Amino acid sequence: MPKVYIDDDVFEFEGRPKILEFCLQHGIELPYFCYHPALSIPANCRQCLVEVGQLVLNRETGQPELDAEGKVVVRFFPKLMPSCATEITDGMVVRTHRSSALVRRAQRENLEFILLNHPLDCPICDQAGECPLQELTYKFGPDSSRFEFVKVHKPKRIPLGPRVVLDAERCINCTRCVRFTEEISRSRQLTIIQRGDKNYPFTAPGMSFDDPYSMNTIDICPVGALTSADFRFRARAWEMASTPSICTGCARGCSIYIWTRHNRVERFTPRHNPLVNDYWMCDEGRLSYRRLNENRLDGPHVREFEGLRAASWEESLRRAAHLLRSAPPEQIAVLASASLSLEDLYVIRRLAFEVLGTPHLDFLRHEDPSFEDAFLRLRDRTPNRTGCELVGISPGPDGLPVQQWPQALRDGRLRLVLVFGDDPLGTGAWPVPEAGEWIVASSHWTETASRAQVLLALCTHAEATGCFVNQQGVLQRVRPAKASKGMDRTLVPEMGKSRLDHHATPFDRWWGHEHYFDCRPGWELAQGLMRELGSPVDYTGPEAVFAELAQAIPALRGLSYAAIGLQGVRLDLHPQPVA
Amino acid sequence: MEPEYAFTAEELARIAEIRRRYPTARAALMPVLWMAQEKFGWLSREVIELVAQTLSLNPAEVYGVATFYTMYHTQACGRYVLDLCTCLSCQVLGAEDLLRHLEERLGVRDGQTTPDGLFTVRHTECLGACGSGPVLMINNRRYVHRLSQERLDQLIEELRQGRMPEFASIPLPERPWEQEASSDS
Ligand code: SF4
Ligand code: FES
Ligand code: FES
Repeated sequence: MPKVYIDDDVFEFEGRPKILEFCLQHGIELPYFCYHPALSIPANCRQCLVEVGQLVLNRETGQPELDAEGKVVVRFFPKLMPSCATEITDGMVVRTHRSSALVRRAQRENLEFILLNHPLDCPICDQAGECPLQELTYKFGPDSSRFEFVKVHKPKRIPLGPRVVLDAERCINCTRCVRFTEEISRSRQLTIIQRGDKNYPFTAPGMSFDDPYSMNTIDICPVGALTSADFRFRARAWEMASTPSICTGCARGCSIYIWTRHNRVERFTPRHNPLVNDYWMCDEGRLSYRRLNENRLDGPHVREFEGLRAASWEESLRRAAHLLRSAPPEQIAVLASASLSLEDLYVIRRLAFEVLGTPHLDFLRHEDPSFEDAFLRLRDRTPNRTGCELVGISPGPDGLPVQQWPQALRDGRLRLVLVFGDDPLGTGAWPVPEAGEWIVASSHWTETASRAQVLLALCTHAEATGCFVNQQGVLQRVRPAKASKGMDRTLVPEMGKSRLDHHATPFDRWWGHEHYFDCRPGWELAQGLMRELGSPVDYTGPEAVFAELAQAIPALRGLSYAAIGLQGVRLDLHPQPVA
Repeated sequence: MEPEYAFTAEELARIAEIRRRYPTARAALMPVLWMAQEKFGWLSREVIELVAQTLSLNPAEVYGVATFYTMYHTQACGRYVLDLCTCLSCQVLGAEDLLRHLEERLGVRDGQTTPDGLFTVRHTECLGACGSGPVLMINNRRYVHRLSQERLDQLIEELRQGRMPEFASIPLPERPWEQEASSDS
């Protein structure tokens, strides 16, 4: 197999890898700015320079030539080469900063050039703490600048579009954002304008950078030049905790991180997942984090006279059970939601079929054809419709499909609706019926919630553990990213911790209690109702529910939380019968 | 009346002809931008869009190219754009003073246009005529050599009357070293 010599190590390689990619894959750190694994390679930042040479082979023997001291002779390229754009060949010798003073000097001086006109305003820059320019300067850069003249000034605080703000002085012209709009989102809205030390990325005159995927440029910008109009100056990177999760904005279910501070969700950022969304997510999904903070239902409520009043969990579950017992099973309908996790759906299904004994179980489809595009966005606006189908959220024998429920409520065939996590009255799916009683589990104050006799507070996916299956059949798991009331964040092992959690004194840690809500996951509420109704079930947690699911559903056979991991797994949704 | 932003049939035919000379539309962009500037005076947003549309390119890309070169005007400019060289040779011969003179005389600063829309004054890098400096270029083509304050004043008057200076051929000075070499042999 062909060999490459990198510093003091020998590696075998296959195909035609580039030096930078190969080094990164083998744990050899090299600094870079303009290279991005999903984009073309312009080699314009020059930060990744290395020494590259070729072993000199003896023409007769084919063996490496040795010099007088018995060392192999290497013929080096006369100049340093950009490792991002240089292909590895057999017998290539690469010297990185680990073995070459020349490369170290190139890295240092290149950074000095890049920083020549940089405003060095890290203390007020949103990117600080997650800035490749800052990090690489610490590691590879000079300790100070020798440039004592007036810096070139460029436009600052320019809204490039509705969601992205440009600070042209911080830009290092790596062209990642331009390449993103050319190669990934294909809106081609950005270009580099002007020349030399005056250049920066911009739109054509009078045009707005309103690409539905524009905010991805904020993530890939290696400096603080492109920042989020929404997130600007809201939190420093090290104050927040990030937890791997998914976006529930549509049936794609993009892999994301949920960032929280003082237990409030501050932003979503995409998380690399080649099975689902690669490095990207849509702007609308990214901004949907607001829903996790706003209009939240805090604690259970029961109806008293005309209003809803706060109640204890015991009282509200007891009242709900009483209502459920007093109606004949065939007059009860159970509406699950395609935004709930597999675990929730599974226990709700058990509650409906095994304990209540009603055949009327279904979920609502939320479709929006205008949302769909050719990239990530899908018309199905729920994250777990495939999961509903997998678990079997559908009417049993003689059960009515959900479309017929409003009519059945009017003519008295149905009397009581138990809703988990959806809002049929508020989303316009149903006309508001005059008749019927409602038990509602909801994470938000909604039209449906306000009609409830008993209102149970439900966790959002940011407060729970559970699995979702996207339209392509990829199963992913979410973890709690924020604590619900009474939960100690630092004791939940899977919850993301901030740098303050790890390193600060107790006095510097998060404060405040406004963003903690008293809510429980769907499976736990369903289990609570089952218990009140005299069918003791006792799942120790979502993982136990999943273990049962993995037994019951063929597509999930053999899976466990450990096997799902961070990336998730692609399910075989239509297993072929063995011939 | 609103100015119409469109190419005539002949112009479109010329663009098609230009387009045939290059493998890609992108490559044909510069001559077409040039044509558009000649026609409309400067490359406004509407003109950028027209050029992009005509060549099936993206407006952002067209704008990027237009701003890269100083000889394309992406800002409204006067009828006469005066590019005065302030690069080394011309500077040594007093170009900075001439620039100040021009600014005072026309009442505008470097880069600005006179209110009557007649003159735009800009300093520029080497025009490649160092031997006959200080040099100034009018509207990206006509050079005026060996400038002095008097010559500048005279030039302004001529231009006000709509008279473009004649093309002047400036012979290169003799090259003494070549002479020596030939006389040696
Ligand atoms: S494409 Fe769908 S899942 Fe992905 S970020 Fe947008 S709304 Fe969320
Ligand atoms: S990463 Fe920018 S030149 Fe290689
Ligand atoms: S320095 Fe003025 S033309 Fe060259």
